[in-house]
Amino acid sequence: MYAYIIRRLWQMIPTMLGVIVLVFVLFNWVGGDPAYVLAGKISSAEQIANIRKQLGVDQAWYVQLWIFIQQVVTADFGASWSTNEAVSHIMATRLGPSLTVLVPLLIISTLVSIGLALAVAYVRASLTDRLVMISCTVGLSISILVYIIVFQYVFAYKLGWFPVQGWGDNFRENLFIYATLPIFIGLVVSIAPDLRLFRTFVLDEINQDYVRTGRAKGLSENRIMWLHVLRNASIPIITHVTSQLPGLLIGAFLIERFFSIPGIGREVILAVERSDFPVIKAITVYVAVATMIFNLLADLMYKAVDPRVQLK
Amino acid sequence: MFPVALFAVFAVSPPLSAANPNKVVRHVFPAAETGFDPAGAQDLYSGTIEQAIFETLLTYDYIARPAKIVPLAAESLPEVTDNGKTYTFKIRKGVFFTADPAFKGQKRELVAEDYIYTLKRLIDPKLRSPWAWLVEDKIVGLDELAEAAKKGAKFDYDKKIPGLEAVDRHTLRIRLKQTDYNLPFVLAHEPTSAVAREVIEKYADEGGRAMSNPVGTGPYVLKDWVRSSKIVLEANPGYRGFVWDFKPGSDPEDKRLIAEMKGKKMPQVGRIEISIIEEDQARLLAFEKGELDIMNMEAPLAPMVLDGATLKPSFAKRGVKLSRFVDPEITYHFWNMQDPIVGGMSKEKIALRRAMAMAFNVDDEIRIVRNGQAVEAQYPIPPGVVGHDPKYRTNIKFDPAAANALLDRFGYKKSASGFRTLPDGKPLVVTYFSRPETLGRQQDELWAKAFDLIGIKMEVQKIKFPEMIKLEKECKLMMRTASWIADYPDADNFMQLLYSKNIHQNNNACATIPEYDKLYEQSIRLPATSPERDKLYHEMAKIIETYAPWRLDISRYRNMITQPHVLGYKKHPILHSEWQYIDVRQGNGGSGGDVGTGEGH
Repeated sequence: MYAYIIRRLWQMIPTMLGVIVLVFVLFNWVGGDPAYVLAGKISSAEQIANIRKQLGVDQAWYVQLWIFIQQVVTADFGASWSTNEAVSHIMATRLGPSLTVLVPLLIISTLVSIGLALAVAYVRASLTDRLVMISCTVGLSISILVYIIVFQYVFAYKLGWFPVQGWGDNFRENLFIYATLPIFIGLVVSIAPDLRLFRTFVLDEINQDYVRTGRAKGLSENRIMWLHVLRNASIPIITHVTSQLPGLLIGAFLIERFFSIPGIGREVILAVERSDFPVIKAITVYVAVATMIFNLLADLMYKAVDPRVQLK
Repeated sequence: MFPVALFAVFAVSPPLSAANPNKVVRHVFPAAETGFDPAGAQDLYSGTIEQAIFETLLTYDYIARPAKIVPLAAESLPEVTDNGKTYTFKIRKGVFFTADPAFKGQKRELVAEDYIYTLKRLIDPKLRSPWAWLVEDKIVGLDELAEAAKKGAKFDYDKKIPGLEAVDRHTLRIRLKQTDYNLPFVLAHEPTSAVAREVIEKYADEGGRAMSNPVGTGPYVLKDWVRSSKIVLEANPGYRGFVWDFKPGSDPEDKRLIAEMKGKKMPQVGRIEISIIEEDQARLLAFEKGELDIMNMEAPLAPMVLDGATLKPSFAKRGVKLSRFVDPEITYHFWNMQDPIVGGMSKEKIALRRAMAMAFNVDDEIRIVRNGQAVEAQYPIPPGVVGHDPKYRTNIKFDPAAANALLDRFGYKKSASGFRTLPDGKPLVVTYFSRPETLGRQQDELWAKAFDLIGIKMEVQKIKFPEMIKLEKECKLMMRTASWIADYPDADNFMQLLYSKNIHQNNNACATIPEYDKLYEQSIRLPATSPERDKLYHEMAKIIETYAPWRLDISRYRNMITQPHVLGYKKHPILHSEWQYIDVRQGNGGSGGDVGTGEGH
């Protein structure tokens, strides 16, 4: 087990190098030269050259790439080019609001989707199953933008159940007042695809011989579904859920913008608009690292839920 | 030029602030701020906050239109001598910075040396201030200080230079290299707001900027700041205050403002809460729900609130107020005068640019793209700016027939493909550069329509803003639509845009027109109010129309709406923050009414 973990950690290094090169090439290719924006409305070639020198973008590409690698190794990405705020401070302060929305959303969405998937799979091919699947298909076909616009208008503005936008000073206020509608919208958007997917996983198991054997032995349907079927369906569910976890670090762009939540998603958009390379590369690297770690965790969890799985 | 003590607007009041902490104004920005160092931040929203926290020597009369300079931290307008080359300011005595650990428990008075330090900072290469141009090549000895720093030495803030002299503790003398009547405008611009050296040295980052610790002498202090999300200001308890005593102009709305505000000790509002909401729908819903008190109605939102120039009945009925005027800005289309296809001063090139200019329908832009919230720009100097001539009419009109005739006359023949070729028979393709966003796409379509009308093949190149500016400064961009908003309300800020010495800076058409240059050089030596200068500007406008480096497009309306309980609000064309001039009525809803009774008037 430990050898497996160490081997996987080693394998992260070439992957990380690939990410670094990709981000570097993409930014230098399409990112634009920030000096021209930072220089202001009226600026001379000399001032622009001075800014480029201070930002280090006047150096040879391999020097810039080496600096980037050093930054990744030391986890010190310097300061934002447009605000001079330390990138570490940006990450530390924006992550909380994003997680306040996305962690409850992921937990509730996963639990509700699993429960509903078991229920509709149990009554598969019935009218209920078909109605739920049709609803999911319709729900999937509508853009999240439509949900945000309509729900914000109806529930926040017309009915006044939630604030239209905003973010408070403490966790409780944020979770129960400002994050409630964004979480609700997130649930409506995410439950439909999750439910369809999880239902498929459950249906794959529900026709297996061990289910028939369990019933023949007189096990209750609850025990069969919640213990045996769910356990065997959990590997693809774990894969799906862990693949979503790195997304927590990116935040939900649209939700954060529409509800003025000071999270990472909003910061990413700002950084792209401002060609703020230190912020962009820090977030990209953190997401890449998180993706690799969560993938490793997923593999370890397979072993935990199914002893037949061999980690090699 | 500027007589002493002309304006008594900022009469000194008792030291205790009149602001009521229960009076709250909730404002909104549609984009994020960057930070609050006057020398470091260049965006409008950071500048708005800076104006509330810091003080410039001069400012603008809140009500007067066109904008009129009045003293702020200065006791009076400057004494101008030496034919406009020496300005002497008397700084108010007894003005203090807000308390900060940088002052080690001492009260810190604002003195002349603070402005010297502030102006020097703008040109310190380490800061890479976007506002260096405000002082560059203007003040005697200042550029030399910067040059020494560029050669590796540390910028010497202690070195005395002849151009910046503290005659005594409260007297500042500025000596210029040449006559410049625009200096008062520069000294009313927020990058020249006084900062305390101790504060900057305590909080500055590696780049020499103190973006997060604004300590000024202005009416408000920064209380809370969640970057890109929320900014809270509270009234500065040590602010000297002033009595609202502005004189009404010709605007009928001024009488209402006088009735609401005259004689009040200012500032009245104790707390300003600013939300940053990027999405149009969220901003409008928040305003309609009463979560905001003041907001700008940008063009995409205008049809939901306005019927043309007035509020929709549903808003007017609720008592929502509208403050509307044409922004001191121009939007214009320019062609690169160094481009081999569209540039040059030969007759056929001039004809080509004039034909393209005549093929563009500004009315369509106003109606379709701007939702009616703009006026056609007739003159390079927009309304609200000294030098604007409301009677001037451009001779470049939408006239596709005349445009086609002009092209025919100068040998731009149509080929079998239906598109015109250059007079030498080579293909004629015009590349229009625009940003990959909604406005850019709409302008692409308008220009595609224009080029169709005259049979010219057009290509659109989408690039991001930084890259566009880079190409523009390198004179490698054939054509695009640009905007320029006044940094200060004087014609020079606009007319310098085609001065050949500003190529690679802000002469984005890369134009060298000797006649224009000659007139511009004459104009900068004349006072702003001189009829001779206006005459020169008329001639320069005609030159722009004749050679067509630009096609003037539009000036946008600014539509600020306020809730009924907001009193005394009138959007200023140059000032960004008006909070110190307004009040909120308490007791009938809204932020001003929901909280306590406060003090009466």
